[in-house]
Amino acid sequence: MGIPTGPATPRRGRLAIAVVLGVALGGLSLLITPVPIPSVDVLRILIHGLTMGWAFQPACLPGVSTAQCHAWTVIVWESSLPAIVLALLVGGALGLSGATLQGTFRNPLADPYLLGLSSGGALGAAVLFVFRLDLAEADVALPVFAFVGSVTTGLVILLLARSLGGRMETLLLVGVALANLLSALLSVVLLFNPQGSLQVSYWLLGGVGGANWYWDGIVLGGLLMASAPLFLLGRELNLLQLGPDVAQSLGVDARRVRTRLLLFASVATAVAVAFTGIIGFVGLISPHVVRRVWGPDYRAVLPGSALVGAAFLLFAYDLSGVAVPSVELPVGLFTAFAGGPFFFYLLYRYRKGSFMGSAQ
Amino acid sequence: MTGPPPALSVEGLTVRYGDRTALHRVDLEVRPGELVALTGPNGSGKTTLIRAALGLTPLSEGTVRLFGTSTTALSVRARALRVAWVPQDEAPQDNVRVLDYVLYGRFAHLPPFTGEGPSDRAKATQALEEMGLRDRADSGVLELSGGERQRLLLARGLAQEAPLLLLDEPTAHLDIGHQLDLLDRVRRLVRDRGVCAVAALHDLNLAGRYADRVVVLSHGRLVADGPPDATLTETILRTVWGVESQRRRDPRTGATYLVPYRPSDPSSPFPPGSRGRLHVIGGGGAAAGILHGLVDAGWSVTAGVLPLLDSDAEAADELGVPYVPEIPFAPIGEDARARLRDLLAQAQAIVVAPIAVGPSNLANLQELRGSTPRAPILFVEPGPSADRDFTGGAATALRAQLLAEGAETVADVPALLRRLSALPGAAPAATIATGR
Repeated sequence: MGIPTGPATPRRGRLAIAVVLGVALGGLSLLITPVPIPSVDVLRILIHGLTMGWAFQPACLPGVSTAQCHAWTVIVWESSLPAIVLALLVGGALGLSGATLQGTFRNPLADPYLLGLSSGGALGAAVLFVFRLDLAEADVALPVFAFVGSVTTGLVILLLARSLGGRMETLLLVGVALANLLSALLSVVLLFNPQGSLQVSYWLLGGVGGANWYWDGIVLGGLLMASAPLFLLGRELNLLQLGPDVAQSLGVDARRVRTRLLLFASVATAVAVAFTGIIGFVGLISPHVVRRVWGPDYRAVLPGSALVGAAFLLFAYDLSGVAVPSVELPVGLFTAFAGGPFFFYLLYRYRKGSFMGSAQ
Repeated sequence: MTGPPPALSVEGLTVRYGDRTALHRVDLEVRPGELVALTGPNGSGKTTLIRAALGLTPLSEGTVRLFGTSTTALSVRARALRVAWVPQDEAPQDNVRVLDYVLYGRFAHLPPFTGEGPSDRAKATQALEEMGLRDRADSGVLELSGGERQRLLLARGLAQEAPLLLLDEPTAHLDIGHQLDLLDRVRRLVRDRGVCAVAALHDLNLAGRYADRVVVLSHGRLVADGPPDATLTETILRTVWGVESQRRRDPRTGATYLVPYRPSDPSSPFPPGSRGRLHVIGGGGAAAGILHGLVDAGWSVTAGVLPLLDSDAEAADELGVPYVPEIPFAPIGEDARARLRDLLAQAQAIVVAPIAVGPSNLANLQELRGSTPRAPILFVEPGPSADRDFTGGAATALRAQLLAEGAETVADVPALLRRLSALPGAAPAATIATGR
């Protein structure tokens, strides 16, 4: 029939399959470590830790020296696991943000990266470097600065999109222009801060390496702050898909709800950007996957996009770990490799007119 | 003030978009149990009035009250509980399940952060039932036809349970069958549920047939408000739409309806009736186009003999062309023949439309032969005339005799007009009068 938005009724059975796949992916990811550790030892160290030292005494297989085992334990628990968790959390935040933006703007091509929210967040975070704040102190300040950057960007987009009319291309062009403007500003900021520019450049490419539990905690906190209200706004998002006027006639205060949605999407984007830099396309792809599988109901699309985004970013992270032996590439490269072609595919379908009923 | 407040009360409403005034000092009151049709040409302010009532358009001056409370004093949710909207061009983007789409109408009734309960689902199902969409509940909205989609929007409005229903061109993209079906349903809702409805309608005859009251807007002003009989008049149609029309009454429903026709071409050098007298022999619709063409070109025209209720007779009625009537399916009587002779004698030229000739109307041609002094005769013949002869050859023989005696044939109306203009004495009537 050529109806691309998936079945009209949600299929809950697929949720279970997705969760199982996700857990399996997480387990596999553990086996990808910066230094080779035997799989059995990784699992033993994991279970040893999870059971608070009750299982597997000692943690490693017999024949592994205590010092070696200790080093491996540190790698698994203080490096691999936090990175995996960070990938999941950031992927979830980006997926959630993308789904929210696509719903808020009624635009299937909206994404925190394409609309410049990520750049705004990055600029906000980069301002921190100008003030030469020590990164250790910056852990809490970083997401706050990033948040200010992405929220400001979001509000500018909202204002511009409203005054330019709600056309799909208009919004994208506004986003592209803004993103460019912001990255120019970012370059200026970096020029005046040459000391940190290598670090910042790597950060800008996007990576979850260097993660620690403390960061994970902050990202989790931010994600909860954004996701809890967003999940409650699923019904309003469904109604907004009918257009702001119809939504309003049905009882949704469209203007207020849209502002709120944008605010929470910015929070989600900001916590993601603050610790991993700019990672593109996760927010673009995830909602489309969810809509195909579970249908267009935003009460399912929002949490679903968070889950799919988490799995997607973890997968990209795994690829970044194994693609070039003993080199960990920025994960943003891999999401871009997947996301760029996907974006063209969406544009193609939209152009063919089979994408959605109308561009409005 | 006695009784309940009006469902919708608009007072001195002015809406401006920049420099353009979309509505100017409009006053309107809609009472519960009424079905009001809102009509007017494109751009007359119908949609603006509806949007203002919904609180979607800022009011420049005046007030809009819903059940006694000003819209500006109502929250979005409170408005949604009072008034439901069936928009003109709502195109669903996603293939949402039909039942879920109708459940959207329940939003304003839901307590915060709770889902729809069984009673909401029951109301949505009931609304689908009333709109004849019950068996489509599990389909996707994109799979519905145009008529079904319009009923879906109405069902959502019903599920909203607002006592006032605003419909913006609900029949715009529907075929005639679905138009009648939809408005029948709206009519029933108003009767059975006690709601009131305001429907913007382009089709005045649908408005006259279904509405208790018709409100006419023109250039943002309210120019008529009353029962269809009082509002749907030839004068309104002429002044507001610039269209000439004739008012009729539907013999079955008693509803008023207007039959519009094209006004005479204002660029024509000849004002109506300024040229000589012509007689047209027609019947069965063969002459309608010819009558229009001749009247528009400024000729004064008579016609006949035509059976009553014949479509050419209706065309003559519409154009104000006098004609000789006869009882349908009866042979032309002596009385009618005499009057036909009379008209033929006064005509400057006689036009014979491509009519089918049978025993009952053969007399029309027979009188042509007898008329004296004979005016020029022009047969309009787009195709072979023998195909239209149902008299066993008598009509064909008559035609041949007339042609032999100087009658001419022309292929169509433009050719006819050219030939007529070339006739001696085809100058404006005034010249003829002095010439004789």
